Amino acid sequence: MAETAATDASSHGVDSRRGFLTILTGAASAVAAGTIVWPLIDALNPDAQSEASARMIVDVADIAENTAKTAWWGGLPVYIRKLTAKQIADAQAVMTSALPDPAAFTERVPAAYQNYVVVVGLNTGTPCALEGNAPADPRGDYDGWLCPCDGSQYDPLGRVRSGPAKKNLAIPRFKFINAAQIQFG
Amino acid sequence: MRRFFAPLLAIGLATAGTAQAEDTLSPLHFQSQGAFGSIDKAAAQRGFLVYQTVCAACHAANALHYRDLEALGLTPDQAAGIAQGVKLADGSTATLDSPFKDPAMPASAFGGALPPDLSSIVAQREHGTRYVYALLTGYTTVPDGVTMLPGHFYNAAFPGGQIAMPPPLRDNAVTYADGTAATQQQQAADVAEFLTWAADPNLSTRHQIGLRAVIFFVFLSVVAIVSKRKIWRESV
Amino acid sequence: MTTELKQSWAGERLPIIGGLCTCLFAPVFKPGSKYFDTLLGLIAITLAFLTFSGAVLAVYYDPWHAFASVQFIDRNVHNGWLVHAYHATGTTALFGLVYLYLFRAMVTRGYRAPGELVWGLGVKLLAVLLLVGWLGFVLTGGAASYWSLFSASNGVLALSGAAGAIGNWFFGGPAGGNALARLVVFHAVLALSALVVVGVLFSARGAVAPKAERGRGVAFFPYYLSQYLAALAVFALIFSVLAFFAPHFGQPRANALPADPLTLPVAVALPWYLLPLAGVAGALPGIWGGILGVVGALAVLAALPWLDRSGPSDAKGGLYSFLTWALALDVLGLGLSCSPLLTLLLTLWYFFHFLVLTPVVTAMEAK
Repeated sequence: MAETAATDASSHGVDSRRGFLTILTGAASAVAAGTIVWPLIDALNPDAQSEASARMIVDVADIAENTAKTAWWGGLPVYIRKLTAKQIADAQAVMTSALPDPAAFTERVPAAYQNYVVVVGLNTGTPCALEGNAPADPRGDYDGWLCPCDGSQYDPLGRVRSGPAKKNLAIPRFKFINAAQIQFG
Repeated sequence: MRRFFAPLLAIGLATAGTAQAEDTLSPLHFQSQGAFGSIDKAAAQRGFLVYQTVCAACHAANALHYRDLEALGLTPDQAAGIAQGVKLADGSTATLDSPFKDPAMPASAFGGALPPDLSSIVAQREHGTRYVYALLTGYTTVPDGVTMLPGHFYNAAFPGGQIAMPPPLRDNAVTYADGTAATQQQQAADVAEFLTWAADPNLSTRHQIGLRAVIFFVFLSVVAIVSKRKIWRESV
Repeated sequence: MTTELKQSWAGERLPIIGGLCTCLFAPVFKPGSKYFDTLLGLIAITLAFLTFSGAVLAVYYDPWHAFASVQFIDRNVHNGWLVHAYHATGTTALFGLVYLYLFRAMVTRGYRAPGELVWGLGVKLLAVLLLVGWLGFVLTGGAASYWSLFSASNGVLALSGAAGAIGNWFFGGPAGGNALARLVVFHAVLALSALVVVGVLFSARGAVAPKAERGRGVAFFPYYLSQYLAALAVFALIFSVLAFFAPHFGQPRANALPADPLTLPVAVALPWYLLPLAGVAGALPGIWGGILGVVGALAVLAALPWLDRSGPSDAKGGLYSFLTWALALDVLGLGLSCSPLLTLLLTLWYFFHFLVLTPVVTAMEAK
């Protein structure tokens, strides 16, 4: 007479006399359970709308030189500025060792499109939206951006030059998908 | 029982050697119909072209985003390009909105008949795919004894027969990229397939997963029942 | 009852684990029960499944833009359409199981002593689930849902006194986003209470289930687990056919349209499982007719153990069995009937069956 069930509560293993059929049933049931449950978990991954916003595409071809466009991404204002040739030359000529937060020219601009600067437009000192996107805005002494809250000044590459702020403006994750558009994320 | 429509049989599409499209008009059938139907992506793409050229002038499809068109085989760039063609700032995340800025305008302009949103129209009408086709090809001459309301047209497929929408389709109003002849019937069939996709974008996946699930559970049922009998036999 | 199971480490410290091990491994069950006995377990599993899929849906559901949020789930959430199908088909499957469970109990006369409480809890489960199902239907934000909510929430405005106060408290005013925001919470809370009712049902059933003879008992694992698995596999097969090939089974087509206060409905449009009760509610005139119809229909069902005048050991008579099947046809007819006269006749037969036929025929056959 075969044993019906383990009388010892701690042994939960399948009796080896059960054989292939039971193991097959158990395995197939486990596969079924996993396949059924997976969509419930996957549904809580970011939905298509969130993913599209996370990989937002922005047109940059229409930005005039020496002006910046604001794009909202991830809840942050991102400033995309087109530099003039003079600003590029001046920025390359700056001695990085003299800066409060040293950063080379090539670290601040994308390699293939060096006349564009993409930075998060929040002051790194007292959090505050920066001014200086339009040429007529107050930009401080370095022709970059100025913080109206604590007076920190940045250069056109977003490097901090003076003021209570100590760190350069943050650069978000982005890439140029073609000459006219950048994609975040 | 299939319902065959007389006009479509007259179309010589079956003889068009240059048409890339599979002949879906004689007899009329849709790849999306039936328990194992799937969306005909080529037809749906052609249908989207017709929608964008003809229907979008009055009808919105608010639940659809331009990026959803990637499911029909368009690349993200193409979808973004289409959105840009409609001059939208949001790019391909934008929805296929109503062309009317003032939501009350179309009803007042069209005598109270608001052009319905087409996102789910196929689900909202009985036998939706065939209904859309029948509606678009159903404009006929007014039968004797019927008095038309002002501004209305006679359509055999519309409940009550009197529809406020003028016949929207004309032969060759659009040019298909794959060379299919753009007759009215072809456009109607393609739009019907596109709107079927729009109402139920997951139809193909659902049927595919469903077939696999049914096969698997038949197998699992057999194995489980046999296993149960074996355990019960051995226990008593 | 005592067992000779050795307690595990956890079992010695947490009585509930010890109890669980006893349930699973102690050889105390009578062998040979029918597949139909797994129905309650399937109901519990389906309810749990609905709870999880409902929780995922609740993450994305927006009561202030109900229809649009459901469309969002279907189109933009990964596998959202599938979670939606799980929940919708799960509801159909659940009511199919509950109706089948109750009908089987009626046919086998399992509601007789000592099974009165099991039966009463089963009817209570049906009542709670009908309310939860109606709330879920209303939450979809479709045209049929809107008008169903409208007639209920505006109907209570016509009630006076305590009934009106309770009605207004429940709906929070006439139909609109405000009503849906609270109804989604009621839907979730009542669904969880249904889980509690199922738990109590299991306990009550355990008390009346036939005990195994000494030495001849079997344990749940693997004996009854294999039966549950087989039943579950067949259930999953039926569920898959419905979920993937007929995801809108039993739902009114009008619900594919968004709620529109400017378009009046042609007829009552409810999910299939609410149709019989709606028939009873509509048969008697006025709001009070509807309330009394619904409450009365469920009350006579719950009172069945006392209306049946045969003792527990009396044989089942053929005439009453026939009448039970006739009642099933009557309920089916109530769901399908479009004619007010037919609905009234079927409603009257329903009450006649319970209040007159049951006592008379069962007493007659008990002799």
